[in-house]
Amino acid sequence: MKGKPEKLIVKGKRLDGRKLDELRPVKIEIGVLKRADGSCYLEIGNNKVMAAVYGPREVHPRHVQEATRAIVRYRYNMASFSVEDRKRPGPDRRSIEISKVSRESFEPMVIKECFPKAAVDIFVEILQADAGTRTAGINAASLALADAGIPMRGLVSSCAAGKVDGQIILDPMKEEDNYGEADMPIAMVAPDNVTLLQMDGHFTKDEFKQAFELAKKGCAQIYEMQRQALIAKYGAEGKQ
Amino acid sequence: MSDNIVAEIKKEYIYDLAKRDERADGRALDQYRNISIETGVISKAEGSARVQIGDTQVLVGVKIQPGEPFPDTPDKGVIITNAELIPLASPTFESGPPREGAIELARVVDRGIRESGALDLAKLCIEEGVKVWMVFIDVHVLDYDGNLIDAAALGAIAALLNAKLPNERYDMGKDAQLSVEDLPVAVTVAEIGGKLLVDPCLEEEQITPTKLTMIFNKDDAVAGMQKSGTGMLTSEQVYQAIEMASKKAKEIRKKFLEKG
Amino acid sequence: MSKDLAIPGDLLSDDVRLAGEGTYIEDEKVYASVCGVVDRGEKIRVAPLTGKYMPCSGDVVIGKIIDVRFSSWTVDINSPYEARLHISEYPKRINPGEANQHLGIGELIIAKVTGVDAAMRVDLTMRDGGKAIRSGRLIEISHTKIPRAIGRGGSMINLIKNETNCDIFVSQNGRIWINGREDMVTLAADALLKIEQEAHMFGLTDTIREFIENAKRDRK
Repeated sequence: MKGKPEKLIVKGKRLDGRKLDELRPVKIEIGVLKRADGSCYLEIGNNKVMAAVYGPREVHPRHVQEATRAIVRYRYNMASFSVEDRKRPGPDRRSIEISKVSRESFEPMVIKECFPKAAVDIFVEILQADAGTRTAGINAASLALADAGIPMRGLVSSCAAGKVDGQIILDPMKEEDNYGEADMPIAMVAPDNVTLLQMDGHFTKDEFKQAFELAKKGCAQIYEMQRQALIAKYGAEGKQ
Repeated sequence: MSDNIVAEIKKEYIYDLAKRDERADGRALDQYRNISIETGVISKAEGSARVQIGDTQVLVGVKIQPGEPFPDTPDKGVIITNAELIPLASPTFESGPPREGAIELARVVDRGIRESGALDLAKLCIEEGVKVWMVFIDVHVLDYDGNLIDAAALGAIAALLNAKLPNERYDMGKDAQLSVEDLPVAVTVAEIGGKLLVDPCLEEEQITPTKLTMIFNKDDAVAGMQKSGTGMLTSEQVYQAIEMASKKAKEIRKKFLEKG
Repeated sequence: MSKDLAIPGDLLSDDVRLAGEGTYIEDEKVYASVCGVVDRGEKIRVAPLTGKYMPCSGDVVIGKIIDVRFSSWTVDINSPYEARLHISEYPKRINPGEANQHLGIGELIIAKVTGVDAAMRVDLTMRDGGKAIRSGRLIEISHTKIPRAIGRGGSMINLIKNETNCDIFVSQNGRIWINGREDMVTLAADALLKIEQEAHMFGLTDTIREFIENAKRDRK
């Protein structure tokens, strides 16, 4: 690991040339897997994630099913080769926690009453990690759900804000996450519903407010990209 | 559960076709699906390759880091191959520790790399008895439409060809290309109604009683074999399978692994 | 514009009385719940472009037997929910315990959905024109494309039937059974898969007619 750079912000620009309130470049492809009911490949900066949705489908084992609605399951998993030092395969405490909060970011949005006793399974694989994998995973999962035709109240869009060199920034990358002073991923559903909120580090109340508003702006930009990606995928089919 | 039950008339159809040397997707019996390989897709890995065979898709990442040698081979590097049949890739794959399918897949891929001598383990020694390079080959299946072994094996060798020794990260000089000594290629053949079909797709794999995977080196020698499935093969079929597979292995090696 | 594309969460109307399929109501407004084409008829509905088949009473489906029990069969109907066919709903009289002599695992049937309850228990009957399928070929397309495969007033499917001289049965759950001369079955199957691929194109019937005619010419 290289040491901490002296400054993470120089003359209002970040190490990768971004402005403070700028997202990393995003690339989205919907419907990339044959076997899955819905799928999405998403890149944001150096993050590369694949999301697949199976379902609604039968629940095994049966005792976990709910009589009047579907259950939603979410599995966040990092590929061994997705990080600098090889990660041991399989779930660890971190991925189990991320899976839980990510699932909960979708729970209020999926219209579960349509599918009693069934399960909607969301699988997110982090193929390359560079800070912001949980938000990237949620963004991809949201599109995979839409691609699978799962009824939803809206798309979930997710983005983080952080603090480096005492300044509030949007969408921290690896160095900013490692050496920054705070990190706060959120997920939003239009018009104003927060479905995920985590934070670690140090924010004054004013900083929190500033970061929260910035993260919301980021989510709105992500939403626009998600929307365009769905229209690109389904727009042609819609024009009969 | 219903994903594993193939409709009877579909089964009969595939068997009838095989009798006439035909296949449901229009391929000849000895015809592979389209292959595409993209290398260097994961910059965090020392080597990587995404392989598609038809709709089957695997991502292989190679991580290389220093570690302690095994006591009985103090002057040799270490290869560790792992495969995950993650539930993202198929409705029939489940979460949890690798089961026999994933373990067989990893072991057959490992055998090809190891036995072909694709990696000279002596060259991976940094300091005898103390420090050697550990080469982790991780197979991540993304979309399962049959014949994972060939896809994973091809991904493994392609990722190794693409891999660098990360000397800089560990203050050992400049990064260097990983030296690859052989180019093993795995080819799987399935038996259906007495006929042999190369590169079975999922539908064929679901009904075939027997598969045979053969791994060939550059010099056409066999580096590894694996028969799997509950059926049987005659010796004549085994000989026929080897001829068929060796020809395919040569074609694949020439097209995808040998540089210019 | 009467037809446009909606994605989940899009506001469709302020009049909750108009809420139809593929929509939901929140705060006295109607929103889209799926990706699909907005159809502003008597009700506003969003015709989904993707998703799984959900059984409805009266649907005719092609099912696959996945389990045989003492007095019923469990049938996969290409849906999140399995269906049940009781022996009393088989076209012939069967004694309890003899179900396996009539339909085995992996066999296909044409059957009608007679009921779907709140717990999504689905019941089938074969007594209303149902039958076992023991020859021919089965293909599967997305159930959302079935209306295109049938065409307006059956125009598309009749075209394919006439051109290929095949028996073709299109079910609501996306499965299609084709029976006829081997090469013509292949041609019909190719045509139907092409419809699924190009369901959004204009002049699809003409495209398919041309496709079949060309294929027949090439074979001669």
